[in-house]
Amino acid sequence: MHATDNLTSTPTLISNPAASPVPVLSLNNVEVIYDHVSLAIKGVSIDVPQGGMVALLGANGAGKSTTLKSISGLLRPERGLVTRGEVRFMGQNIDALAPQERVILGIVHVLEGRRVFEHMTPDENLIAASAVRGSRQDMLRNKDMVYTYFPRLHQRRTAQSGYLSGGEQQMLAIGRALMTQPKLLMLDEPSLGLAPFLVAEIFDIVRRINKEEGLSVLLVEQNAIAALDVVSHGYLIENGRVVMHDNAEAMKKNPDIQEFYLGGAEGHNFHDIKHYRRRKRWLT
Amino acid sequence: MLFRQSGIFHTSYADARALFPLPADRWMIGLLLAFAFTAPLTMSSLVLSTHLLPWLVWTAAVLGLNLILGWAGQFHFGYAAIMGIGAYTAVHGARNGIPWEIAVVLGGVMAAVIGIVFAFAALRVKGLYLALSTLALQFVMDWVISHVPAISGGSQATLQAPAMRLLGQTVTSETGLYYVALGWCLLVTVFMLNLRRSALGRALVAVREKDFAAAVIGVHSLYYKLVAFATSSFIGGISGAILIFTFYRAATPEQFAVNVSIELLAMVIVGGLGSIIGSYFGAAFILLMPGLMNNLIGWLAQLAGTSLGVETLAHIPHAVYGALIIVFLLVEPMGLGKMYTNLRNYLLVWPFGYARK
Amino acid sequence: MDFSLFAELAINGALSGLMYSLVALGIVLIYKSSSVPNLAQGAMTMLGAYVVLAIANGIGLPMWTAIPLAMGTMFFVGMGIERGALRRLAGRPIIMILMMTLGLDIFIRATTMAIWGSSSRPISIGISDSPLFMGPLLLNRSYVVGALVAAALFAFFFFFFRTRRGIVLRAISDDYIASWSIGISVERGVAFSWAMSSVLATTAGVLWGSVQGVNQGLALLLLKGLTVAVLGGLDSIGGAILAGLLLGLLEGVASGYLDPLIGGGSRDLVVAATLILTILIRPHGLFGRHDIERI
Repeated sequence: MHATDNLTSTPTLISNPAASPVPVLSLNNVEVIYDHVSLAIKGVSIDVPQGGMVALLGANGAGKSTTLKSISGLLRPERGLVTRGEVRFMGQNIDALAPQERVILGIVHVLEGRRVFEHMTPDENLIAASAVRGSRQDMLRNKDMVYTYFPRLHQRRTAQSGYLSGGEQQMLAIGRALMTQPKLLMLDEPSLGLAPFLVAEIFDIVRRINKEEGLSVLLVEQNAIAALDVVSHGYLIENGRVVMHDNAEAMKKNPDIQEFYLGGAEGHNFHDIKHYRRRKRWLT
Repeated sequence: MLFRQSGIFHTSYADARALFPLPADRWMIGLLLAFAFTAPLTMSSLVLSTHLLPWLVWTAAVLGLNLILGWAGQFHFGYAAIMGIGAYTAVHGARNGIPWEIAVVLGGVMAAVIGIVFAFAALRVKGLYLALSTLALQFVMDWVISHVPAISGGSQATLQAPAMRLLGQTVTSETGLYYVALGWCLLVTVFMLNLRRSALGRALVAVREKDFAAAVIGVHSLYYKLVAFATSSFIGGISGAILIFTFYRAATPEQFAVNVSIELLAMVIVGGLGSIIGSYFGAAFILLMPGLMNNLIGWLAQLAGTSLGVETLAHIPHAVYGALIIVFLLVEPMGLGKMYTNLRNYLLVWPFGYARK
Repeated sequence: MDFSLFAELAINGALSGLMYSLVALGIVLIYKSSSVPNLAQGAMTMLGAYVVLAIANGIGLPMWTAIPLAMGTMFFVGMGIERGALRRLAGRPIIMILMMTLGLDIFIRATTMAIWGSSSRPISIGISDSPLFMGPLLLNRSYVVGALVAAALFAFFFFFFRTRRGIVLRAISDDYIASWSIGISVERGVAFSWAMSSVLATTAGVLWGSVQGVNQGLALLLLKGLTVAVLGGLDSIGGAILAGLLLGLLEGVASGYLDPLIGGGSRDLVVAATLILTILIRPHGLFGRHDIERI
């Protein structure tokens, strides 16, 4: 599933699927090292098709956030480096670009734990994100779009962001990212600390954005059940390596995934519960 | 220096934990001590009294500041005030007939008491705020010393220090004064070297790193902060007293004003935070450099045919000294001590550098 | 109690306090954006005033041209300092950053003195020496002008931080990484804050220079500016203006009554005492954020 490289450096239009579409994002054998000593991810290759929604699943510490940071360029504050492989956006190698430049190209990373600007109002949070490009009209138009998708945010738009509830902060973080007019939206564990119905609501909104705006989405999640319900394709990362990738339906039915990530297959009876955990079949 | 660790295998804990476990280091220390003790014979009297003596006393003061700044991690922007307190107390004591040794120790104790006052600020805040409050306390001390005639003899007055009487003998010769300074400096150095392997030293480091975590494992951070301030202030007070008695011979408020505090901090930073050998290097560097640069610039100006005004020349040492701080922080933030350690590590296995990863 | 003396001391004090706020504003701007307490702000104030003089007297331009030119020069000086000296120390322990700013302070002061000498020079911005009368009270005209300029600048910043650019700067001071993630150039924002602080320092230098002459005393404004900044809250702009008024008031009234008793010099004592008390009682100041590390 590795796309043929498009050697031109101009981004292909999303609305031209007839030409063999360049994946909006393509990681080829990326390796990331922290502090010159800790290997975080090794040989990770991921493709996100244009307009698609892809999930990156895995347990805590598997390397999912690191993968996202290698794409958005936020490794440097944590003393991380991409030491091998390359990251391509719309066919163009972006390894040398600073985080700000990647946002201008169209990649935006919604950080783990939301990280809204706590001392400003939601409205100001959205305005801050619009500074990257666009005129005042663009900003007003985008704000309207964000408030349409997140009506609850509109209600709370003059409160201090630090006092919003977790769900509202997550909506704000996503809305803030949307203000940068991205082509690829990367969400890092949006379900963290949220009640299940909120998770469902947010995922629903994200799916609508994906469909209506044609925005590609890369979703990193520990909550595999919720994630596999909305995405079309999934990658499973363990210990810094991709151990499985398939379309969402197949992954949901995969017995190993069910056993280790989805809480067990349907029809588990009491008799089966007391047995030793078997070895994952993808470990050779 | 070269391959100094080769062939050394300790077979007992006592050997491994010795202050200088390697024979090569012991030889070097021995040589240095020999040189220090015979300095009055080998060095000219000028060098002895204007360079070596103040260097030793300032090093002792820098070691004291390193204790609180580098080891305990607490800011202290008012160390000169502490030294001043020790100095003034000792001078007043000696003038009023108290035996010299007791007067000096009294100076140290007084400084420690006032130092504990600084410590109470440290118990409340950290970081920048602690730095600011110690700076403010320094200003208050400055003001008190210069405005209270009972202490300083008036703001412009100079308080003459009586001659030093060590164990009943009046010590006035340069050699004698030099040995007193040397003795004090060695005492402080040995104390600091042993700190590393003592419980107090470990407690201080724990408090420096994360005081609440230290408290969780039973290191009473409040107590150890007080101890750190008290010890460091004691050292500072005695160093200030010795400085007056052996070098300045008279006490004035300017000697312990805020710019002296900054100079001490510069010595610590240039030498390396927490580094013992660095204290020696830092004190030497800051004491010598501005003078050298002044001469250099004056000489260069002569070569170029221009003459620099007296005004300009007067400010060049300060400019150099500010530039030194900036350059060191940019180039080697851990100071001369780290550079020296790097050199020693390099020579440890040279030319087989690839053997040491 | 002589009420009119008290009122005079209080009002003149408050006015000069607003001028202290200018210096504090520079410190707060830098602290807000880069978490660096700029101990070189006093030196920058002094340097700014000398640059104005150099342009006005040296090149012979009129004051109303010299001042903007000097501000422009100091804009780049501030940016240069941030880029050259402070950026490399980002993330290092605060002691090093503090020492760096102290080193800069010493270096700038000494170099300025070396170049221009230590005698005091007058700077005239067209304010006459005659005092203003408000009823029976005598007000220092320079202080009134200075206070008005300070108030105008504060109003400017109040509105600036509601514009898009200002919101971006506030975002930077909130969270660097989140700012990076949405495309804000943190580096440019921080450099801009430093540059603006230098311009503010120049303004303060000119105003204070017209009151007390341009000399090395200008650099001592650091302690007063710092106290005001801490009292108001190191990251609060509104706090700086209120704290300035408060400190000026305190200093003016207290020194008026205490000086005769203790023979002068009580102004500095009042300032130092305020600093210590603020840090011990309420370190984050009147309006600062609460996330100061304490025990």
